[in-house]
Amino acid sequence: MIRSYSSTSGRFDWMGLAFAILLVIVIAVPLLVVFTWAFTEVWRYPSVIPQKFGLRFWDQTLSRADVWEALFISLRLSATVTALSALICLPAAYAFARMKFPGRDLFFLSFLASHAFPKFGLLVAIAAIFLQLNLIATFWGVVLIQLVGTLMLMIWIPVAAFQAVDRRMEEAARDVGAGPLRVFWSITLPQAGPTIFAAVLLTFVSTFYETEGAWLIGAPQIRTMPVLMINFINNQVVVQYGAVLSVILWVPSFIALIFARRVIGTGSFAKGFGA
Amino acid sequence: MARLKIESLRKSFAATTAVDDFSLDVGDGELVCLLGPSGSGKSTILRMIGGFEQPTSGMIRIDGQDVTRLSPERRPTGMVFQSHALWSHMNVFNNIAFGLKLRSLSRGEIQRKVDQALELVGLAGYGHRQTFQLSGGQQQRVALARSLVLEPKILLLDEPFASLDQHLRERLREEVRDIQQRLGITTLFVTHGQDEALAMADRIVVLRNGQCEQVDAPDVLYRNPQTEFVAGFIGQMNFLSANVEGGRFRHPDFTLDVEVQDGPAVLALRPEALRLEPSDSPDAAGVTRATDFGSHIMVDVELRDGARLKVMTAPDARWQKGQTVRLAASAFALYRQNRLLARGGLPVETVEGRSRHALA
Amino acid sequence: MADTATLSAAGGSEPAIGRGLKGLLLVAIPVFLVGWLIIYPIFAAILSTLFVAGPDGVQFSTASYQFFFSDPYSRANLALTLWTTSICAVLLLLVGLPIALYLRFSTSRFADLVQSLAIFPMFVPSIILSYALIRTIGPNGTVDILLNAVGLPKLPTPYLTPWGPVIGLVWDNLPLTVLMLTAGLAGISSPSIEAARDVGAGPIRVFWYIILPRMGNSILVTISFTVLGIFSSFTLPYVLGPASPEMMGPFMLRTFNDLYDPLNAKTQAVISFVFCLFFGLFYVWSIARNQRSQSR
Repeated sequence: MIRSYSSTSGRFDWMGLAFAILLVIVIAVPLLVVFTWAFTEVWRYPSVIPQKFGLRFWDQTLSRADVWEALFISLRLSATVTALSALICLPAAYAFARMKFPGRDLFFLSFLASHAFPKFGLLVAIAAIFLQLNLIATFWGVVLIQLVGTLMLMIWIPVAAFQAVDRRMEEAARDVGAGPLRVFWSITLPQAGPTIFAAVLLTFVSTFYETEGAWLIGAPQIRTMPVLMINFINNQVVVQYGAVLSVILWVPSFIALIFARRVIGTGSFAKGFGA
Repeated sequence: MARLKIESLRKSFAATTAVDDFSLDVGDGELVCLLGPSGSGKSTILRMIGGFEQPTSGMIRIDGQDVTRLSPERRPTGMVFQSHALWSHMNVFNNIAFGLKLRSLSRGEIQRKVDQALELVGLAGYGHRQTFQLSGGQQQRVALARSLVLEPKILLLDEPFASLDQHLRERLREEVRDIQQRLGITTLFVTHGQDEALAMADRIVVLRNGQCEQVDAPDVLYRNPQTEFVAGFIGQMNFLSANVEGGRFRHPDFTLDVEVQDGPAVLALRPEALRLEPSDSPDAAGVTRATDFGSHIMVDVELRDGARLKVMTAPDARWQKGQTVRLAASAFALYRQNRLLARGGLPVETVEGRSRHALA
Repeated sequence: MADTATLSAAGGSEPAIGRGLKGLLLVAIPVFLVGWLIIYPIFAAILSTLFVAGPDGVQFSTASYQFFFSDPYSRANLALTLWTTSICAVLLLLVGLPIALYLRFSTSRFADLVQSLAIFPMFVPSIILSYALIRTIGPNGTVDILLNAVGLPKLPTPYLTPWGPVIGLVWDNLPLTVLMLTAGLAGISSPSIEAARDVGAGPIRVFWYIILPRMGNSILVTISFTVLGIFSSFTLPYVLGPASPEMMGPFMLRTFNDLYDPLNAKTQAVISFVFCLFFGLFYVWSIARNQRSQSR
């Protein structure tokens, strides 16, 4: 394992190959299985390959009213939470990155609180408050509880992005006659743009898949896609429904994967979690 | 057309004073250089003129108008930053056009002005390039064009060539000086390189610890430094410390008659104002090294008390290490507590007991 | 307006009341949300489980905590949670550290592939993972199919046993573990390792004396973060784990939603807080320290 320090370029990297193969088996195989199931009509036990491929279960899954309802609720929730989160967090992130005010460091660290407690315990504590406020089983109750979960991501990553913008660029814009708002809009935001876009995208996706809060607060009226999926698994309805739903559900994640990969690889993302 | 007047400008940060009671008048079309070591407050002064720092007290006027409290976008100044600070999400054209667009000019007008500005800095046809496709020198030219296109009354340059290599730096500073004179734009230039200041400036302001040491034209500054700091900062200078007693500067190797009050003093001698002659005297100064620079030879000489001097000699002279020599100076200046006491072209010589030649 | 505008651009030298106020206003809503929906609920949960409305007014009572610790089922749930969390933390380190070390020091073309693969689970939601694992390692799943195809007997399936959630949680938490450990390793400069090699230290010694001491902190942060995440995880234990005993996450949900018993659910929540207190504090402390050293 440690031989690769010297990484003499001539030698074949057996360890890299071993890691790659192991990870492919462990990570890709379960997902391939789901993918195969989604396009299978008959697959009885001892056979290695499904007996019959087909799209019959796509029709069946997509004709279910509860699937469409859950999908629309999930999309509405994620869009609302992401928009609200961006609206309140991005200006705050700018303030943290560029302004000085009393309590700045303390407030900034306070967002860690959402990650410093076991999440489900926190959700239960919040749910107890919502119980008194009659927010249980309401759309806005779920919005609020999911919004709290996005705060840290939407503050810490944009703060790092804003701080990375060269101050001289902003000053140069002031110098040629742009007011503070114009500077923010034309210089700061486009410069920090790609990272902020990734943060927004990750917020949308993580909200879309958020299960615990949605179930704890939303049940039974607000049923999101992940919650519906758990029902399908629990009630042992047709295997393929779960597989088809999984493939559909994975689409947002796939889009996020394409766009956010660059940001996550750079390590600024890990910094967002304090590494 | 534009005059800059700075009156008793002061800037304090929490515990330190970055700029202390600084006043300066810059005439129309003049290029004034702020020169000083890092931490001397030169950049802070420039940033206060640009509006990026607020003075603690004092006043800045441009053409008689008080701009001290104006925000940067309302000042008729244009700044070129050390790191060029080009907007990397815009191409060259848009970088230069940004300020014009803010002034709601017509498309044709903007196009014409940007083309003109690019032409001026020698980058005609580069408008569609991305900023990261340019070399360091080209980037700095775009930054210059971005400021000039708005026809500012005062151009501010904050160590604009610091990140460029020596060769490019020399070429670019000639071009900038050329453009500045063609446009006749009043310019303030910050640098810590004396070559740059001497090559470009009409007048140089030497700063130390936030205070002005001397303001003069480059030739005056070099030949007549008013303080010991300026003497040491501009060009090469040899210093010898000794006491003045009874109207005579009494250094073991140099004595000099001066009409100043008794007390400690520092004698300053330029390498080119010193001359060497071979000497047989056993207690004469010795050559420790001779470095050939082609155009001249720089000889290091160690005096009897251990002090070292640099002497500039003609390229054909040959000096051996260990050779004993006699020194003579054709010009000197004498300082006490950083103030000039006396200066002159009197011959000063190494004392060898007997003779004194006048070499000047 | 012109004045405050100037000040906001003017570096940080002039403490202006206007600017401080503007900053405070901009951060007000998120900070308020943290206070209202994180800090306040935690204190409310602690207080409301200790001061319970009895027949003669509100009075101090530890009854709900006594019930939790005297109830064998609750104790079994807590024990299962602690067991799962520690096993997962150990496994994650054992798997994550070699991958992180490899990524830090390899220059081969496999490194990019390994990194992409290790990060990939971050983009697989736990609900899809749960389903995929049921189909793969569940009864008559792919593993069974493959074993059968090569003539081997079936293995006992981990599905619905405590090992089910362990496999799922390790899979799910691998990306962040690798990312955080790699970030920690990035702080160790190559010259310092080359210098150690130069004076004759072998790979094991280099790891033990040079690398490990310097990444101790990032290992602890990684463990803290994983523990906080796994201790009250919900989806994977709920779907893959046994119905009884169950982990704290599903247990709390059932207490709150199915049994309509907020008091005991809150008690369980507070008990999770207490068990994770050390890790939470360490996590916040070490990030606060990093943050300070970066900003100064």
